[in-house]
Amino acid sequence: MSYWEIFTWLTVIMLGIGSIVVFMFFVKDIRHILKKFKKGKNEL
Amino acid sequence: MYPLEIIDYIIVIVYLSGMIGVGLWFAKKHTDFEDFFLAGRSLTTPILITTLISTYYGIDVLFGDTQLAFTDGVVAWFGYARPTYAFFLIAALLLAKRLRENDFKSLPDILYFYYGDNARYVGALTSFIYSLPALSLYGFGMLAEVVLGLDPIIGMFVLGGIALVYTLTGGFWAVALTDSIQFVMMCIVIAISFPFAMSFIGGFDSMIELLPESYFDTLGDLNIFLIIIYASTGLSILVEPTFYQRIFAAKSYKNVRNALIIGIFIWGSYDWIITVLAMSAKTAVIQGVLPSSVAPDAALLTIVIAALPAGIVGLFIAGVLSTEMSTLDSYCLVAGGNVSYDIYRPAFKPEVSDKELITVTRYGVLLSWILGFGIATAFQQMLGLWVFLSSILISSTLVPILLGLYIKSFRKPLAGFISSASGLFSTVILNIYIMLKGTFDPSEETYIVTWFGIDFLQEFVMYITVPISLAGFFIGLLIESRGD
Repeated sequence: MSYWEIFTWLTVIMLGIGSIVVFMFFVKDIRHILKKFKKGKNEL
Repeated sequence: MYPLEIIDYIIVIVYLSGMIGVGLWFAKKHTDFEDFFLAGRSLTTPILITTLISTYYGIDVLFGDTQLAFTDGVVAWFGYARPTYAFFLIAALLLAKRLRENDFKSLPDILYFYYGDNARYVGALTSFIYSLPALSLYGFGMLAEVVLGLDPIIGMFVLGGIALVYTLTGGFWAVALTDSIQFVMMCIVIAISFPFAMSFIGGFDSMIELLPESYFDTLGDLNIFLIIIYASTGLSILVEPTFYQRIFAAKSYKNVRNALIIGIFIWGSYDWIITVLAMSAKTAVIQGVLPSSVAPDAALLTIVIAALPAGIVGLFIAGVLSTEMSTLDSYCLVAGGNVSYDIYRPAFKPEVSDKELITVTRYGVLLSWILGFGIATAFQQMLGLWVFLSSILISSTLVPILLGLYIKSFRKPLAGFISSASGLFSTVILNIYIMLKGTFDPSEETYIVTWFGIDFLQEFVMYITVPISLAGFFIGLLIESRGD
């Protein structure tokens, strides 16, 4: 396996897993924000 | 048109319906302008990462950058994409902190704060022009024609119309939320595409064996001058209106800094994988498994659709649509804000209520979409148009904003106004001159004019107009200091 290929697989893992992890944190935050939206704007 | 299965169409339709649903959910939930335009300044790091990445990467990156990778190899990443990360880092560590020191709402707001109304109006005009979604709509037309077999005008109208609906109804919350869904889709489909593309061409080693050695040369065949020109296009991030909007919408400076630093790794990975995918398309052409007629800017689309199984192709198309929708919605919203907050409010109704400001912003969003649609259907040279729009923004705002942010004694109204106005007018005049007097070079996809035996490309305009803007700034300073 060449260095190019190893580097590419690392970026695939970083992009795939990284984006899922970021999205999971996003879901956690947005649930909190949407709950506040339902309760009323002033709490934001 | 590429052959698609029913499951692919279902995935695309579900995705598009979901985007409209998000916009409608937020439709009546805004109570003030700051909430509508900046999501109440409450964006956290994960939301900022997703909205920054999905907004800044449209299909111009997906297809434009891969065009260079298809024809030249890894230089597309090392020479073109990589230097822009340095500008992101500068923005994260130096610029964002300054921008958060005051409660700015828009880019022209900064010009007003440092230089007064005249500079604000010039900034609002250039930001509005730059934010017209002509390129995104053109991209939708191209996608609709190539992928779905639709007439480009219908594609622009339908796909662009969906992004318009959720932006009009849901404001920045809808934009941020849809951006986040679009972010994960565009990243996952690109990551998944790599192993399928490798399997399609017989592994990574086939690429190394078949492609010319220059494809793996980090500087390729491009001369250093061209690489500097490419790299300097990253300057635009320092005055990017949608980027500024996200900085202002963040909960705090730390959220912006962390989002940008994490984002650089995701941007870098995304750019590298699309570079490799485009190179694998070139390999497939050499192998004869893809036709030699593949256009360089369609290379990525061609190899991915050929390599992916049914169902995942639908996800990929939804991911590509995501890439463009997340760009279009953000620019339309910024343009709408320029009309309402930066022009209508100060010029016509300083005591305007938040409710009316939101309504005018929606009219501004609609106006920008209609103008963008008109331009996208009337012009053929989209690359030239993009160069024109970018050079207008950079030439009229880079100098006054950066000098105003960092040097207190330079905050003189005349300096800011002359700088922004001279940058704007010199850019317009030079671009018109080059387009009228120059010749269009299809291989470079740009207008070229010859001055003193040297070929001057349309892309080089800002190397004249930014110094003009700088000179204008100091002339203004000089006049003000004499007046004092």
